[in-house]
Amino acid sequence: MARFPSVEWLNEVRTAFNGNEEYHGAGGGACEATVGIKVDERNFRVIFEGLECIEASEIEEDDLSDLDFYLELKLDEWREMIENIKTNGSAGLDYTLNTLDLSQEDGLAKSRSDDQYRQDLFFRYNQTLQFFFDASSRVDTDFG
Amino acid sequence: MTESTKEKALARRVAALSEEDLTIPEPNYRWMGKSHQWGTHVRPGKKGLTVGDLNVGYYAEIPEFWEDQTRMPRGSVAGRGGIPPIGYSVRHKHELWADNAADLYEEAIQRRWISTSAIPWHTLEALPDDVEGAMCQLCTELCQQANTEIETITRWQDQLSYGFHEVKLFLASESFDAARHFEVFRKRALANGGGMGLESRGEVNRMILESMGGWTETVALLHLLRGVFTLTVYRHGRAFAHNEAERVMFTKCTEDKARHLAYGLEHLKYAIAHQQDQAMILEQVLAIGEHVLLRELKDPVMRECLAIIFAGGIEGAGSEGMAKFEHLMGDYVRHYLSLCDWLGLQRRSMMPNRFKNYLEK
Repeated sequence: MARFPSVEWLNEVRTAFNGNEEYHGAGGGACEATVGIKVDERNFRVIFEGLECIEASEIEEDDLSDLDFYLELKLDEWREMIENIKTNGSAGLDYTLNTLDLSQEDGLAKSRSDDQYRQDLFFRYNQTLQFFFDASSRVDTDFG
Repeated sequence: MTESTKEKALARRVAALSEEDLTIPEPNYRWMGKSHQWGTHVRPGKKGLTVGDLNVGYYAEIPEFWEDQTRMPRGSVAGRGGIPPIGYSVRHKHELWADNAADLYEEAIQRRWISTSAIPWHTLEALPDDVEGAMCQLCTELCQQANTEIETITRWQDQLSYGFHEVKLFLASESFDAARHFEVFRKRALANGGGMGLESRGEVNRMILESMGGWTETVALLHLLRGVFTLTVYRHGRAFAHNEAERVMFTKCTEDKARHLAYGLEHLKYAIAHQQDQAMILEQVLAIGEHVLLRELKDPVMRECLAIIFAGGIEGAGSEGMAKFEHLMGDYVRHYLSLCDWLGLQRRSMMPNRFKNYLEK
């Protein structure tokens, strides 16, 4: 069981994501993006290249400005989303990245560099990112 | 004609030929060796052999102005003479170029989808008549937006020089994407007990189609002003999807539309950086476009059908549904302005008040 948030948890999700070819077909596909995941004060970087997620690491707050965009939720909100995915096998309509982005006051996907072009990668690769988080349904998560 | 008649006719034609006509000339192979850079060995990279990878040596020389007026592929040998000119009007690089075009083309091909099989149509379920009617009306509107995109791009394609084939290839994929969007929304309208709805007044469609001042100006209207609006509608369509079929349909269309937008933005950025006064021209074009868009939105059909979808029926559409429509417009205007800022275009302080009002929604 891996604790969320942690590099260990992201690596388990990464393995589940990379190992499932269904995620590469219709709806998914090649993706080139460096994405941040912000959980309260902790920050992580996830790199997508081609059909795979090739790296996950913990980064400093200042490093968020180097990323294409980052996804920010409070720990409780991440937990709700991940538990919903675990229950359903994939995100229910209220917990997709798209819905969360539309329903959050400041959006879910953000950019420290105010680079809207790079931030729009969130839309271009939206289903791939969704598949990544949906892969967490195959991971046993501990929230501490 | 019987076999025997055919054979007789052939024999008559052969008999009429001279000895010289029947002799195959010795090949001279003079066309061989006509190459600017023979011995090129482009190797596949991590992503395979991409269009962008082919830009090596002589073949990587992308001119600021494309002299040739034929379909000569860039890097081939010109000068055979006597080839009638085609009459391409877009020949300066700054008029169409985007550095990301080759990569976006590859992405379009790699992430392609098939509406016939990729959409789980079996998940469609009967909806209340008012919701089904609203959904069909939205699909009708989106079909018209898609066919506007197809026509606009294909009308411009024969004006864009072959010196910039990366852009032509990408735009070919964009018009195919738009055809697929037309297809998928028509399928949705006709697959669940409803049907096509009311034709849109199409003021923005007509404005885009009739924008003939330059490709860059058309890109500003098609990709930026309208494209961001369509993207926002797709995203909200996904958020309020009634079933898995609609969710997948709007998701894939969102990704495609974001890719189209990526070309538009990169091209506008390039044009602004390389052409004097381009930013001022685009600000004028967008100012006109914003007014036309606002005028079109006075027509209640689009906002009412969206409000019904957002509220889950006519009941509540006037209050809850319209509030969510205003939120959609807020999302649209914020995204649009953020991109104008990124391009260095002064729209935030210059935009119509009705646009500004949406910023608080």
